Amino acid sequence: MSQNWGYVVAGYALTTGTLVAYAAWIKLRTRRLKRLLSDEGRD
Amino acid sequence: MSFFRGALLVAGKDLRIESRSRVALQQILPFGGIVVVLFAFALDSDRDLLPRAAPGLFWAAVLLAMLLAVGRSFAVEEANRARDGLRLSGLDGGSVFLGKASAIAIELFALEAVLGIAVVVLYDVALHEALILVLTAVAATIGLAATGTVYGVLAGGLRARETLVPLLVLPAVTPVMLGATRAFEAALDRTPGDAWPWVQLLGAFAILVVAAGVAVFGPLLEES
Amino acid sequence: MKRIYLAATLVALAVTAFLALYVTPPRENQGFQAVRLLYLHVPCAWLAYLAFGVTALASILWLIPRTRNTTWDLLAGASAEIGVVFTALMLAVGSLWGKPTWGTWWEWDARLTTTAILFFLYLGYLALRRTGATSAERGTRCAIAALIAACDIPIVHFSVTWWQTLHQQGTVFNPNLDVKVNGSMALTLVLSVLAFTMLYGYLLIDRFQLAQLEEGREERELQLAIAERVRAEEVVPA
Repeated sequence: MSQNWGYVVAGYALTTGTLVAYAAWIKLRTRRLKRLLSDEGRD
Repeated sequence: MSFFRGALLVAGKDLRIESRSRVALQQILPFGGIVVVLFAFALDSDRDLLPRAAPGLFWAAVLLAMLLAVGRSFAVEEANRARDGLRLSGLDGGSVFLGKASAIAIELFALEAVLGIAVVVLYDVALHEALILVLTAVAATIGLAATGTVYGVLAGGLRARETLVPLLVLPAVTPVMLGATRAFEAALDRTPGDAWPWVQLLGAFAILVVAAGVAVFGPLLEES
Repeated sequence: MKRIYLAATLVALAVTAFLALYVTPPRENQGFQAVRLLYLHVPCAWLAYLAFGVTALASILWLIPRTRNTTWDLLAGASAEIGVVFTALMLAVGSLWGKPTWGTWWEWDARLTTTAILFFLYLGYLALRRTGATSAERGTRCAIAALIAACDIPIVHFSVTWWQTLHQQGTVFNPNLDVKVNGSMALTLVLSVLAFTMLYGYLLIDRFQLAQLEEGREERELQLAIAERVRAEEVVPA
């Protein structure tokens, strides 16, 4: 791409993708653990 | 028991174990030799490249052998609840650190002497500036042994110890790798003036790590 | 409360992206548009310092007997993980910037090398953290490993002044404190650092809460399994 827009797009996509995925992964594990712990409590 | 007598005791114990089991002699040294040979394969025994890369390759081989030596030094503490014995011995943590690190350093010196000869012969290296080579090796080896000992006790008793210690030690000893290689290069290039800053770096690193090791070994031994 | 904070963070990030991608000018002598990657690379670097700094501080607090508390151990671990993510991003984005600007994906200059070492030091730290299920088990060894690793942080920062090499001198935190960036670029840079810092705070809170939930889980699961087994034995006596 002219003037190196390709690198810019790649960089912004990589950064956004990584941070969103990481934040989502934390949320997913938290939700799973909370469910597990509430199940334990009920036993 | 005085601080240094304790260290001497522990170093003596480790070296005596080595003299009876001969693990360093029969396993670690040949390992270093094989690594030196393998590097020659990697560089396609290029007549020009090997002697120029020799300093780096030598120290890479020493680093890898150091990992084995450290692993071995702490493996002997796993059997027969030897670590409990160390803890109950009443020896100061710093003494034990100095003792174990010294034993590893002595083994490494011997290893470096033999590997050095192998590298000179196999890579066709011309030696110069012996004083710088020796001083570099002393400072570097102390740094390596001390760092390895710190991480060895840090990971002591952990099941993943064998794979964890190399991962922890290697990034931490990059200053030694860098300094020792550059110093050796300067010595072999017959530009000794360039070597001194690196030797100083190695010396400073060695002092820092030994000081840190003396401080943290005791608490880490308690935890393991 | 947290929703408002998250919204504010996202707004700040969006504004930053807008400024970075549309408003600020390209640089003729520095890879043209590639300079826009600096608005990502610089905050990532700052956040790596911050995250690992927090880990170091929390580790010290754990090591001091009077202040020892599970909180510090969990905080150290959470912040280190975020720091590793940002270090990896810093290296990747820096690489994407380096190719059009210097012509190469990587250089073995002082800053890049010491940053790569920083990355591996904390990867090792994260591996070490997984060897113990509770703070009591892993706290001290991890704290000491973290403090050793933290020694590299000032080395990374000062590497560009100690060794005059390829990577540029600090444009803001340089030895003369003479800020060379100005105008819209400076504003965008400052805003990006702020926005990313807000993001760090958000991630830290989430990651810390997750760590609290995970604390001792392995032990609890073991106890649960044993309890279940005992119950099974009681129902069907041997």
